[in-house]
Amino acid sequence: MPDHIQPGMQCAEVEALLADAIDGTLHGATLAAFEAHRDSCAACRVMVEEASRGMRWLKGLDEAEPPRHLVHNILAQTIGQMPEAHPVPAPKGEGWLERLKGRLAPMFAPIATPRFAMSFGMAFFSITMLLSIAGFHIADLRHVDLSAKGISKAYYSTQARVVRYYENIRLVYEIETRVRDIRRVATPSDEQPQQAAPQNNQQQNNPPKGDDQQDKDRRNQNYNREMGRPALAASPPSSNQVMDEVNSQARLNRRKA
Amino acid sequence: MDDVQAVNSLVRRCVAGDAAAWQEIVQQYHRRIYNICYRFCGSAEDASDLTQEVFIKMYRTLSTYDGTRASFMTWVTTVTRNLLVDHFRKGKYDRITDSLDAVPGGQDEGLTLAERLEDPSAGPEARVQSQQAQKLVHEALGKLSPELREAVILRDLQDMDYKDIAIVLKVPEGTVKSRINRGRTELARVLQRNYKQVN
Repeated sequence: MPDHIQPGMQCAEVEALLADAIDGTLHGATLAAFEAHRDSCAACRVMVEEASRGMRWLKGLDEAEPPRHLVHNILAQTIGQMPEAHPVPAPKGEGWLERLKGRLAPMFAPIATPRFAMSFGMAFFSITMLLSIAGFHIADLRHVDLSAKGISKAYYSTQARVVRYYENIRLVYEIETRVRDIRRVATPSDEQPQQAAPQNNQQQNNPPKGDDQQDKDRRNQNYNREMGRPALAASPPSSNQVMDEVNSQARLNRRKA
Repeated sequence: MDDVQAVNSLVRRCVAGDAAAWQEIVQQYHRRIYNICYRFCGSAEDASDLTQEVFIKMYRTLSTYDGTRASFMTWVTTVTRNLLVDHFRKGKYDRITDSLDAVPGGQDEGLTLAERLEDPSAGPEARVQSQQAQKLVHEALGKLSPELREAVILRDLQDMDYKDIAIVLKVPEGTVKSRINRGRTELARVLQRNYKQVN
């Protein structure tokens, strides 16, 4: 726009005041100067007319109607809750089932969504698949002994199985071996393992002894296993050792009694 | 002032986890946000998608709203505008570059935009009242540059004052007025030029 010099006001000033002039917020001398310049300057007059016309066209635009499900979609994507899920009191005269549904519906509203249903389905599918791979079948539950003795037995057998599995893991075995090696290196005297080894051999060759002597031998045996030579990770505890432990426990109980 | 306090209370409840408060916010502001998006990008489908994105963004960042700096309406408009600018920069909602003489989508029995605007008995102002004329103005709005378009949308369609528009657009108030003037003038020229060509 040419920057004509008009009496009282310049084109640049008219442009700066144009928005206020169209809004009708110009008053007094400023408005008079603006109108005087507009009437005398053709370029500014055209500019004012075009801006006014453009504003009228824009103001004539109606508000666009949002899609019907927009609010529903927004709530589903943000809080996963539908507007219809709000508590609606059941009308009088309805049966107890309808009233119960009316009371329970708001409580289950957060989970009664497609997203939750999909998540639940996926979780159920995953758990079922894992159980199937692990060899667990629902039908086997019929044969489970639910008496106190049966539960106790199942508990201890499961515990023993887990412990055995843990001890047989190669990683655990290697870590234990390393720790044992480090401990052996850190120990100043190497005499104990050397002394213990002949005792162990001797014990294997000797006939059965008394109870006290057997306890001592067993302690030495354990000591030798820990300090002298590496234990075999894959070998389960022998039945003799288990029986010895059970017998010694029974003897201790008898003595206490 | 009561309205401001009510809105701030609503926001606080929402931040505290009140789902009903969030639902009320969505009910109150979805129409406004949808209209800004619709007028800016020109497509109802895109506007619907963008409105949902705006509310998702608002839901995640509602705790950052500071009532002492600007009104909630200004904050909502700022979030909307920023998202629109991001999408525009990605090139998804580029300016419509077809000519006014082109037949948009082969509709309206081959009439050009100029022919639809033409009305021997009445001026353009009178025709804005009709549905078809509204469509013409909407299309002409899409031909403005994004800077001018957002300024006139906020001023003439959303009735925001210059100060709030300056906050939303992050430009001085004088720049806002200048953009609004240029936007209105350019829109009038786009419509008027074609109108004169037909005559």
